Amino acid sequence: MNIDIRSVSFRYPSGQLALDNVSLSISKGETLALIGENGAGKTTLVKQMNALLRPTNGRVDVGEWDVAEHSTAQMARRVSFLFQNPDDQLFARRVWDEVAFGPRNLSLSEPEIEQRVNRALDRVGLLDKAESHPYDLQYTDRKLIALAATLAMEAPILVLDEPTIGQDARQRERVASILQELAAQHRTILLVSHDLDFCARTAERVVVMAEGRILADGPTEQVLAENEILDQAAVIAPQLMRLSQALKLSPPKLRVDDFVDAYASRKARPT
Amino acid sequence: MQAQSIYIDHPSALHQLNPLTKLTFTLVFLVAAFALPNAVALIATFVLILVPLAASGGLLLPLLRSAFWLVLPFAISLALIQGFFSPGQTALFSLGPFTMTLEGLGSGLTFAARLLLALGGTLLLMLSTRPDKLMLALRQRGLPESLSYIVLTALQIFPRFQERARTILDAQKSRGLETEVGLLRRLALLVPLIAPLVLGSIVEVEERAMALEARAFSYKTIKTSWISLEDSRAQSILRAAILFFGVVLVYLRLTGFWPQ
Repeated sequence: MNIDIRSVSFRYPSGQLALDNVSLSISKGETLALIGENGAGKTTLVKQMNALLRPTNGRVDVGEWDVAEHSTAQMARRVSFLFQNPDDQLFARRVWDEVAFGPRNLSLSEPEIEQRVNRALDRVGLLDKAESHPYDLQYTDRKLIALAATLAMEAPILVLDEPTIGQDARQRERVASILQELAAQHRTILLVSHDLDFCARTAERVVVMAEGRILADGPTEQVLAENEILDQAAVIAPQLMRLSQALKLSPPKLRVDDFVDAYASRKARPT
Repeated sequence: MQAQSIYIDHPSALHQLNPLTKLTFTLVFLVAAFALPNAVALIATFVLILVPLAASGGLLLPLLRSAFWLVLPFAISLALIQGFFSPGQTALFSLGPFTMTLEGLGSGLTFAARLLLALGGTLLLMLSTRPDKLMLALRQRGLPESLSYIVLTALQIFPRFQERARTILDAQKSRGLETEVGLLRRLALLVPLIAPLVLGSIVEVEERAMALEARAFSYKTIKTSWISLEDSRAQSILRAAILFFGVVLVYLRLTGFWPQ
């Protein structure tokens, strides 16, 4: 299912122009990271995709649906959204019920709900905590409950707003491997994140935003090597990218294995 | 500060006034709301004193908008309840066994006018005064630090709750929660909407308390502030005059000077 954003502008009631004539096409199965400083318009842009916000000008299509003609609840069948703070959504007494809330809203059958919830909890490693009260668990686990709730919607498009914020290294690894699994199933993933190392590892395409506009859009390796654009967007390239550039490795590397191979082969080369 | 309160920044003389002067205005508006005898006097005070004050601070539209939407539901219910159920001689119309009387309707509208004046006076203070400056002014007059914090938090809590409630609603709608439903279904929606608000706030309280203590909140000393508050002899005289006016209003009310 493709996402097509055409000449979208958005102004908040306060008068602030958050999106300025933005156009973007995202194909089915892409993993795309939106990066940029706070206030760049990243979250405002992704909220147009499930009708949480509606464009002041322009049009957003998700598949053959014009988003303007659908409610957020209807869009939930196509776009599943993970919010930054899990405490903004957790309300049930059991982890299981929390994850089942979304599928229940979709009026699925009980066996289908059960399958989806168990699958999602298993994916995030919380199946053994299904009976716990969400607020008896650590923040990192609550963040995973919210992720499981998003996964249980089994929508073709996932929007993840800062999925790694407040996560330790192990949970971060888990989130990365979940995203890789989903990408292998050709699910479309949109990441909004300040964690550029994570984006470099998981996204195949990066869009850089600043002041409501798109500054750059392209393959991850290419965009993250554009130091001038990253400077304009007030973001710093991932460490491996900077190290590659300092060592003049061409093309610069974003993954440890690729970096080690490139560096080792350069060392082995006769001078 | 704007995101945490309803304060609106504007370069005006009203904004420059010492918070205590504006608080004195508000106190006297509250006194007037209950001391003035009828709707005409109440509305006249609102229009002739409060409205020009708000206009001088560039706050007329936000004040009128907020006051209107807050008072409207009370005005309607007071007019209906008082109109139908208060004793009166002049019948206006009947609905089944109930008769709306002119005297009852007048009494309901007088209550609504009292509310409008009291609320307008409070909004004038909140829209034109940064909460931290208000609390500093009160602390300088001997208000205990902890009480000042409670008042400050109470002033800031509504915009914060509003913002958070919006995020929670967005999060639940994103999980397929349909909010355009009938009244009974809407009651069932309260749990997923209110529970995160309450539970999240409880979590926040603990963190907030620890953050305060980590910054020596309860350390017994005379605390300084980087905020400086302007005051003058003219403002002291103005405050005394406003307070005197308030005392006169109470006296006239208690002595039955005005006809009921």
